[in-house]
Amino acid sequence: MLITKNIKMADVIHMNYFTLSVLNRFGIELGFGDKSVEDVCKKYEVDPFFFLEIVNTFVNEDYFPKKHLQTFSVSLITDYLQKTHHYYHKVKVPEIELLIENMVEGCYTQKDNMVLLRKFFNDYKNELLNHTQREEEVVFPYTLAIEKAFLNQNPDDSVLQMMETYSIDIFENEHDNIEEKLFDLKNIIIKYLPAPKDQRLCNKLLHELFNLEQDLNDHSRIEEKVLVPKIRVMEKQIINSFTNR
Amino acid sequence: MAKISFAICEKSYLIRKGLASVIEKIPDTKIVQQIENEEELIVSASNCEADYLIINKSFATKPEIKKVLATFSDTTRFIVLSNDNNTEVSGINYEGIVNINDSQIIILKKIKEITGKNTVTHDDIIPGEISKREADILKNIALGFSNKEIADKLFISTHTVVTHRKNITRKLGIKTVPGLTIYAIINKLIDIDKEK
Repeated sequence: MLITKNIKMADVIHMNYFTLSVLNRFGIELGFGDKSVEDVCKKYEVDPFFFLEIVNTFVNEDYFPKKHLQTFSVSLITDYLQKTHHYYHKVKVPEIELLIENMVEGCYTQKDNMVLLRKFFNDYKNELLNHTQREEEVVFPYTLAIEKAFLNQNPDDSVLQMMETYSIDIFENEHDNIEEKLFDLKNIIIKYLPAPKDQRLCNKLLHELFNLEQDLNDHSRIEEKVLVPKIRVMEKQIINSFTNR
Repeated sequence: MAKISFAICEKSYLIRKGLASVIEKIPDTKIVQQIENEEELIVSASNCEADYLIINKSFATKPEIKKVLATFSDTTRFIVLSNDNNTEVSGINYEGIVNINDSQIIILKKIKEITGKNTVTHDDIIPGEISKREADILKNIALGFSNKEIADKLFISTHTVVTHRKNITRKLGIKTVPGLTIYAIINKLIDIDKEK
């Protein structure tokens, strides 16, 4: 079922509690009573249409209105992507680290294996950090500059110089698959790690890993299917406008 | 713990008996079979219950014997009994080498090392998961060797290594090198303390 602007925000969470993390990203806090999605968004100065598309694509894998998503401004999209980065580093990763730490602490029979898991995840964390840092320092500023030049009737030559050194195609090529290692980690725990004594902790950890993986998939889908094509169109038009001058 | 069982394949009666009496000094071991020649080895291949087959090197490296050894089930591992100082035996997937001139202490130490290394995985290893050859490849991937290096080491083409890698990834559901490394360590394909 699609979430629409007149549905109560509370019901959105009842329908699928995974939406909590999306609300959190938009800075929306709990305690909204019976207010509708539209009203709550207004209160937190969030574009309700953007919120709806994001939350719907997040909970429903089959729902992905590519064309509609591309109508939102680059700044709105990159701002959301940046917020998800923040969520990974400040919320998700520390949660997982704590669980792994607890597993290392509480395990006597296969401490070595647990230490290995910890190291694996730590390497992964650094990889994720590099990945998101690169996006924030290089990719997002570039896309914002492209949008600015695109909207400007008379962009100056500096944008052309910028496009000579970087382009969205470069990003697409270098955009590595950050979910792969996470997939491996899950499989190692599910299939190959001798069953740890504390199954409860292990299940919790798996739950978190699945969660993060799904979130990352959603995240890269927005980057690859929305941001990249949108910027590519803008790049073409900018080049055209210069050649027609 | 179940006893670790050995079969010894060696022509010389004296060496066979001597080695058997040395090995039986290790607690929880037993000699289940003594094999003298090729005929006996062929019979043994089909019903061998030993965890380890200790086999004379010059005998084992004969092409026809290699074929017989290949028919042993995966549960039997090989230890080479050597009479020279060469540390490489090609064409056989063996766990370790014992030298005929080794002192009793050295022999005991080597056997303990070999069996100790495998006792954990012995029951834990998931049967049918990956083949012996794939395990070899995986071990080398985990040790950080490139496809080319692995190909050179195992005398196969790079293309074959790539095919093995694809199969390993498909069978295990693990795609990345760090993931494969963890699998190799957990399953004791490599020993991190030793490789450090």
